[in-house]
Amino acid sequence: MATNDKLIEVKNLKKYYHKGKIKALDGVTVDINRGDVMVVIGPSGSGKSTFLRSLNLLEVPTEGSIIFEGVDITQKKVKNAEGKLVKLDIDKHRQSMGMVFQHFNLFPHKTVLENLTLAPVQVKKIPQEEAEAKAMQLLERVGLADRAGTYPIQLSGGQKQRVAIVRALCMEPDVMLFDEPTSALDPEMVGEVLDVMKELAHEGMTMVVVTHEMGFAREVGNRVLFMADGKLLEEGTPEQIFGNPRHPRLQDFLAKVL
Amino acid sequence: MSGLIKNLGKMWGYRVAFGQGVLYTIMLSAFTVLFGFILALFLALLRRSKVGVLRGIATAYVEFIRGTPMLVQLFIVFYGIFSRNALGQFLPSTTILGYIDLSRFIPGIIALSLNSGAYLSETIRAGIASIDYGQTEAARSLGMTQSQTMKMIVLPQAIKNILPAIANEFVTIIKESSVCAYIGMYEIMYATQIIQGATFIIIEPLIIASILYFCLTFPTSKVIGYFERRMSRGDKR
Repeated sequence: MATNDKLIEVKNLKKYYHKGKIKALDGVTVDINRGDVMVVIGPSGSGKSTFLRSLNLLEVPTEGSIIFEGVDITQKKVKNAEGKLVKLDIDKHRQSMGMVFQHFNLFPHKTVLENLTLAPVQVKKIPQEEAEAKAMQLLERVGLADRAGTYPIQLSGGQKQRVAIVRALCMEPDVMLFDEPTSALDPEMVGEVLDVMKELAHEGMTMVVVTHEMGFAREVGNRVLFMADGKLLEEGTPEQIFGNPRHPRLQDFLAKVL
Repeated sequence: MSGLIKNLGKMWGYRVAFGQGVLYTIMLSAFTVLFGFILALFLALLRRSKVGVLRGIATAYVEFIRGTPMLVQLFIVFYGIFSRNALGQFLPSTTILGYIDLSRFIPGIIALSLNSGAYLSETIRAGIASIDYGQTEAARSLGMTQSQTMKMIVLPQAIKNILPAIANEFVTIIKESSVCAYIGMYEIMYATQIIQGATFIIIEPLIIASILYFCLTFPTSKVIGYFERRMSRGDKR
């Protein structure tokens, strides 16, 4: 499914805190192609979440650029179709980047269906009925159609995360970013969420997944990145990364987690 | 004892005066709640502004209002800002319902709102801060703008969290509005003073006044409690 059609180009991305004393990201360069299922692994504090959150500018990088669908979204101003410099509309670009969080972040004051239709209706200006039909169809696919009218607190963790995935999908994004989507789940619920992600991957959705689920990385990913200390230390296919790790930090990490 | 009951009985003759006072207090408090809340929302957002100067102005305002007596603020607004040779000349000299003099009513509402807004803004600010930042991140990641996120995601949850505190503030306004008697606004305390003057009875009008205030504040907290329960639908399993 993977292509050579670049969707996101990350160039020399840096994120410093406390005037450079803490380097959360220290020069990461990588291309994400359409159809890629890129899994980012690494020890905690390695910068993998910061990397992911930088892709849709939830973290504003200190340096470097992120070129998404041909536009450098780290710039304040960009050239529009007529070649004029205009203010970059980050909200517009975020519509095409779905994000799934470790702690789900569903809106607790809205029902499941309202969670799903809010952004399509308010942001994309899709008619309510159309947004609801689309949401119900997606809910059906993750097996939660019967929960449309309930509030998030009435759902289990696994159900919440599946709703959160559907919420992102309702915007019809070009890429899905997953920030440790199963880390806050009880073990018996991890499977149901990974299954939904697997299905998405098989449909050809471009995905960037930060996870500790090595099984998922091996089975579903087509590329695996290993990060440590804010640097991208090794990149390869799952076979290369898990079968023949070269960097001593990666060998050390795998020895601990596998 | 029999004197007390006899005097309380006499108060029935002044029921219209008390009634007018109650209606005045209700209108005064209702408008204050409305304008105070709008001001508070505005102040709370200013205090979260990225612009340091705006933050500074809002903070200074809130601190100043909270650090000075309500009565002083009322006098400054009424005798200063709305004196005859300042803004007072623009006030309409009409009365509504035959006894509510707008040239006093409007400065009263403004003074109370300026005060209440400062207190409420602190409450709202705390309410906004109590909402997990993940909510904002989720909304922004869906492409919602900062103001959409505030309006549809953060504020509804924040207001729900601070409803008990807002109810307290509403009750406080009803009670604090009694200082408006000092500038001749015909609310409960003013009616009480008139009746005291007319009858030379001191204690009994005050007893009636306190009962009337209680009859306003107690249902107010009950009504807010009802809305609180209704809005907590999302919290129940």
